[in-house]
Amino acid sequence: MIFYDALRQVISLAKQKVDDSKIVGSKYLQMSGTVLMLFVFWLIMSGGDMHPKFLFYGLVTSVITTWLCYPLLLVPNADGTRLYYAFSVSIPKAIQYFFWLMWQLVLANIDVLLATTAQDMMTKIDPKIIRFKFHADNPLAYAVLANSITLTPGTVTLNVTPDGLYEIHALTPGAADGCLGGDMQRKVAWLFGEGNCNFEVVNGEVAA
Amino acid sequence: MSLDLQCIRECVAALFMLGGAVFFIGSCVGMLRLPDFYTRMHASGNSETLGCTLSFIGLVIYQGFDWTAAKLICVFLLVYMINPIGSHILGKAAYKSGHPVWTLKDYTPEVLSKEEEH
Repeated sequence: MIFYDALRQVISLAKQKVDDSKIVGSKYLQMSGTVLMLFVFWLIMSGGDMHPKFLFYGLVTSVITTWLCYPLLLVPNADGTRLYYAFSVSIPKAIQYFFWLMWQLVLANIDVLLATTAQDMMTKIDPKIIRFKFHADNPLAYAVLANSITLTPGTVTLNVTPDGLYEIHALTPGAADGCLGGDMQRKVAWLFGEGNCNFEVVNGEVAA
Repeated sequence: MSLDLQCIRECVAALFMLGGAVFFIGSCVGMLRLPDFYTRMHASGNSETLGCTLSFIGLVIYQGFDWTAAKLICVFLLVYMINPIGSHILGKAAYKSGHPVWTLKDYTPEVLSKEEEH
């Protein structure tokens, strides 16, 4: 019974009215993209078993899952005037961003590893909380920026307020400078196609 | 000839996994040496990024490029997306509940030597 209740709830979510005019981009293109992504994931997970029956099952499952989940993948922006599709980044830009992030990770890893294993560790580290403001229209940009900062060793996002104030704990002076330099913020703004990067460093205490 | 190629591949895979192990050990050392909760969270970041990356590259090279390797890459991407969320939630919980942030002002050699005596 619990299963049927859950299923009914998901179906009612899928049937909820979505204002199509608010969606950024083409709805059917995004839906077919989701089907393709899920189908490739199915192929990988089924271990290359290319029997036509299984391919058909996989395709049908992908289509049903997309139909159920597509409204859940639409995220509204701050003032609710637009709906953004969760995977609406261009693939070449995403790949470029991934490799850039990997290179930043290598540099940051070596920095943190040398600082924490040094004989005079207390002269190498300088733990403190840094703050900056970042604004983008797409809510996914906030999440990707916070995730990328946490993924980089030496910086952990502690809090993001709804008006875009990031509070970050930085371990080494190098990590703090790298985070406040604004390279990552500009890259994220470029990834999500935001025209200009709204980014400023906030100094001093901010009332919580 | 085929044996030689396999030998080279296994050696390269072992080197990558060894590189990953270096970062895992560095993460452990940092975890033991750093002074407070927030700074220890950074030490764990070492193992979950480059340690994980190098280990997975080693495993993919060892496995050869087949469907199992594709599954490994899927796991690797999931780790990349999910791990920061865990760190963020831990940090946010500590920060919101008012856990004090350790800075260099709290550090004096006398305090540390006194702690070591206990």
